[in-house]
Amino acid sequence: MKRVKRFGRFVLELLRELSDENAYHRHLAAHGRAHSRQEWQRFLEERLRARYIRPKCC
Amino acid sequence: MKKILGHLVWAALAILGAVCLAGIALNRGEPINSIWLVVAAACMYLLGFRFYAKFIAARVMALNNDRATPAERLRNGHDFEPTNKWILFGHHFAAIAGPGPLVGPVLAAQFGYLPGTLWIIIGAVLGGAVQDFIILFASMRRNGKSLGEMAREEIGRVGGFTALLTVLLIMVILLAVIALVVVNALKGSPWGTFTIAATMPIALFMGLYLRYWRPGKVLECSIIGFALVVVSIFGGQAVSHSPALAPLFTLSGVTLAFAVIVYGFAASALPVWLLLAPRDYLSTFVKLGVVLMLGVGILFVRPELQLPAFTRFVDGNGPVFAGKIFPFCFITIACGAISGFHSLISSGTTPKMIAKEWHAWPVGYGSMLLESFVAIMAMIAACVLQPGVYFAVNSPGGVVGATPQAAVETITSWGFPVTVAEMQTLAQDVGEASLFQRTGGAPSLALGMAQIFARTGGGRAILAFWYHFAIMFEALFILTIIDAGTRVGRFMLQDLAGHIYKPWGRTSWMPGVVGASAAIVLAWGYFLYQGVIDPLGGINSLWPLFGIANQLLAAVALCVATTILIKMHRWRYLWITAIPLAWLVVVTFTAGWQKIFSPYPRIGFLARAAQLQALVDSGNVAASKIGVVRTQIFNERLDALLCAVFLILVATILIDSIRVWTGVLRGTREARVNEAPFVPSRIEAEAL
Repeated sequence: MKRVKRFGRFVLELLRELSDENAYHRHLAAHGRAHSRQEWQRFLEERLRARYIRPKCC
Repeated sequence: MKKILGHLVWAALAILGAVCLAGIALNRGEPINSIWLVVAAACMYLLGFRFYAKFIAARVMALNNDRATPAERLRNGHDFEPTNKWILFGHHFAAIAGPGPLVGPVLAAQFGYLPGTLWIIIGAVLGGAVQDFIILFASMRRNGKSLGEMAREEIGRVGGFTALLTVLLIMVILLAVIALVVVNALKGSPWGTFTIAATMPIALFMGLYLRYWRPGKVLECSIIGFALVVVSIFGGQAVSHSPALAPLFTLSGVTLAFAVIVYGFAASALPVWLLLAPRDYLSTFVKLGVVLMLGVGILFVRPELQLPAFTRFVDGNGPVFAGKIFPFCFITIACGAISGFHSLISSGTTPKMIAKEWHAWPVGYGSMLLESFVAIMAMIAACVLQPGVYFAVNSPGGVVGATPQAAVETITSWGFPVTVAEMQTLAQDVGEASLFQRTGGAPSLALGMAQIFARTGGGRAILAFWYHFAIMFEALFILTIIDAGTRVGRFMLQDLAGHIYKPWGRTSWMPGVVGASAAIVLAWGYFLYQGVIDPLGGINSLWPLFGIANQLLAAVALCVATTILIKMHRWRYLWITAIPLAWLVVVTFTAGWQKIFSPYPRIGFLARAAQLQALVDSGNVAASKIGVVRTQIFNERLDALLCAVFLILVATILIDSIRVWTGVLRGTREARVNEAPFVPSRIEAEAL
């Protein structure tokens, strides 16, 4: 049961990483800011600008 | 005792792998169960990972967990962030997994299941995974530098510029060929076209939802998006049955091509948060989910392979694409065995997130093995189809005959019996009007996947849903690559043009944005259009071009890797990169040469152009068709020119690299390793 729980936690963490939710929390922590719509928009714009200058794999 | 037990387990795995490989290699005449392929591949991957990759990590790279990685030294909460190795493994795998490992094996199945399967396994273990691993290591030791930057630094300015130009040209061909795969999958299919069209408003809705209504809730938004996409699949079924709506979504190849071109331009100009990013999130989750489902489905159903180990088309006269096993099997399957594009990912985000140097072992080498396993699953999905059905779906009208009757007669005469009635029944089962001439690999992959999924429960009644689910899955992430690729191509072009006229280099300068976007879209759009109107199906010309280009990029990456090993004084281990590099150079240059100069019109671009020119000169072309044939002649010559440019670019890098290698080996050039200085790590491995 413990292993199933640990695996479930891992899957959730992976999904959060892939969805940038973890990166957003890190961003908030690093800058000492609270979550808000403006903060999310600022974070996402920076994040996406950096992401979409690299080619996606085939 | 524990050590002896460990040795026994690995020995048993080696024996099991050898037995399974021998089983699939020696079997003739009878269908073989797909589990043989799965077990053979799994054993080889485990052995390669445990012994070969570990040897490279310990002896060649000398990975050191006491050395701080860029993620630790340059930690900024954005790009540079130490990440759990398994999370990073998933992240890296999601980034490298594209349509290539799915489509390539399906096309190469025309040779039979054996050549492609062996190349996927051996190519990945000894070539592809090694390339990904060493480039990841090199970038990690250089503060996350890109392949182009490393090429410039390690080889020289010529190498760096050539690498950038090569990537740009490859992008153009890549976008054209994957767009062609989507167009061929949706041609004449109102169900598929409606479903894919519906993903656009769904993505826009997701973009607005994330920005204004529930900022930051990406997972929640993606779940809603996925539910809406599933609803749209059912909506597509209703549309296909509606006499009023079905004609609106029944589009020809040319119309679809223009729609994709216009879409590509619009998507690259729209803000990324509105369309591109939400669909990218959704397609990543769908991609991982479907790959997992396919793996479970194959293990659960354990289907038998209907295609033989070898088909008669090893002689080079295959209907899907022309050319013999050597070199064409090895360029048709690029991603899944060795893919140059991976080196861009391995020198992109991933090296900036590695917490400990030894994590590069599972992330760099292991992720590629998983991608290779996806290619094996795609091969299985293609080979579970009846051979007659496989060839009826994948053969263009220009090869087998334009009518269904002519097609089945030709295919049956090859020894792969199939009837028009069988094909009609199958088309009805999956909700399509016809499955003839659906070239490109996506429809036959969707058919194979649908058959596997349907056998896990639901049977024929649910075949149509699974077929369109698979088409949606393929088209969703191909379209994401198209709009992201157009955007990236725009930046690269602006970067290059900025050297000529400074304002072009500014990504916020509107004339530059519009001009560069239009140039990139027109470039890949032209090749897409060329593929759509090609009587040989387009894939016959474009997929080999893409394969050659992708493998040539791998050769560039291996040149950089070899240079780094030489500068690190690892001469004893040069064969690790030199052998895959030599193989790729031989394969791609042979394929490139044949594609340009082969006297057979189905293989050689120039021979085909000459054949068409002779047809025009003889006066045997109707006046109304002369314009089309002249365009085809121009296209064939253009393809030959592009292929030659690829070969020249890579030859330039290769010669430049050899110049550096000989200089270092003779002692006339300094063997300076451009690694970041050693800083002791403070992160505990267990903390991750």
